[in-house]
Amino acid sequence: MQGGKAGVSYPGDNTVSVQEMEALQLAAQLIMENGGETFRAEETVRRMGEGFGLQQVESFAVPSGLFISYRTEEGRLETSVRRVHHRSTNLTMVDSVNQISRETAAGKLSPKEALVRLRTVSDLQKKGTGLRMLPAAAICAGGFTFLFQGGWTEALLSMGIAALVQGTGMLLARIHDPGIASNIVGGLLTALLPALAAGWIPGLITEAVVAGALMPLVPGVAMTNAVQDTLRGDMVSGLSHGTSALMTACLIAGGALLAPPLIRLIQGGGL
Amino acid sequence: MIPAADVLCYLAGSFFGAIGFGMLTRIPRRALLPSGIIAALVYLIYWLLPLAGVSEYLAVFCGCLLGSILGHICARRMRIINTVYLMSAIVPVVPGLGLYRMMASLGQEQMHQGASQGVQAMIIIAMTALGLIMGSYLDRIIHEKR
Repeated sequence: MQGGKAGVSYPGDNTVSVQEMEALQLAAQLIMENGGETFRAEETVRRMGEGFGLQQVESFAVPSGLFISYRTEEGRLETSVRRVHHRSTNLTMVDSVNQISRETAAGKLSPKEALVRLRTVSDLQKKGTGLRMLPAAAICAGGFTFLFQGGWTEALLSMGIAALVQGTGMLLARIHDPGIASNIVGGLLTALLPALAAGWIPGLITEAVVAGALMPLVPGVAMTNAVQDTLRGDMVSGLSHGTSALMTACLIAGGALLAPPLIRLIQGGGL
Repeated sequence: MIPAADVLCYLAGSFFGAIGFGMLTRIPRRALLPSGIIAALVYLIYWLLPLAGVSEYLAVFCGCLLGSILGHICARRMRIINTVYLMSAIVPVVPGLGLYRMMASLGQEQMHQGASQGVQAMIIIAMTALGLIMGSYLDRIIHEKR
């Protein structure tokens, strides 16, 4: 067998050292799918590759895919391309991959061990988020409502709305919504419900409720990544993350702008 | 005189707000408490400096700079990816209310008011990014010297 140290070969392809390449691909893919920065994916590939004893490890990543190339011990140049599709946010997973990468770079893990551990992390990804996200959104919204001069009434209301919006988003994600419908509906509900509630609760500070309930929808990870990637000189990824943050903001705003005509309609004024 | 109840209220608000946001982005559990504390400190700076006569924009910059520095320190100490802490440093100063007011004004076709509110929010976002960048820059200089 010609592969790398622990060469496993695909049928009909006895030249590729699959395990090293698969470990590198999986590590970078997990980072990018779960909200890690592009430079982090590139750096992880480089460090892990060097930890495996590969030469001339190079990688090039953009938020939608990555290229990896290296020279094996026998001097062969190997290259791969992987497309990154699914995008969500789970920074714990990015952190776990980072941990594995550190150990690999220190020479503690063989390609096989690294791959096994990466697969364990990857399997966790397939598990659903469960209902834990509802209280998370509620805590986030409630906390920020106080910052926007809201009181307990406003905080409780925005907590309820945030949990509802989060639940709706999770339902929409089940029918493979890539975040478009969920952001529009989120913006709409967040603007509509407090305005309706203001009719029932006298003296309600509507804008505190709305602004608080909008906070869980803020694209915080995309904003941070845009800054971090741009700072490292990766303009393409920086722009890409920035555009993604801007699009999320526009979708939410679009949803929220649908609210006033709807309110007029509900209150019997016509459009 | 600054009322203590207000300070407590804002500290708790930013602390829990950031922790909730951290749970939503599923940061590692051991990072929750430090990220809440960073967020509370950032908000404290952002709120206190204008009371001392500093402009709001500069206060955002100072808050984010502090948050970014603390975030980098925590990330290195705890060996956690720095994204986690940088995010919690910027989340409390995101101009949520300003952006909402802009949307509300634009929705009612009050274009001038909406535009000026929008520009204010944009400057705050730019200051946030600037604070974050300066902190990361300092971290790199210090770290690379070692």
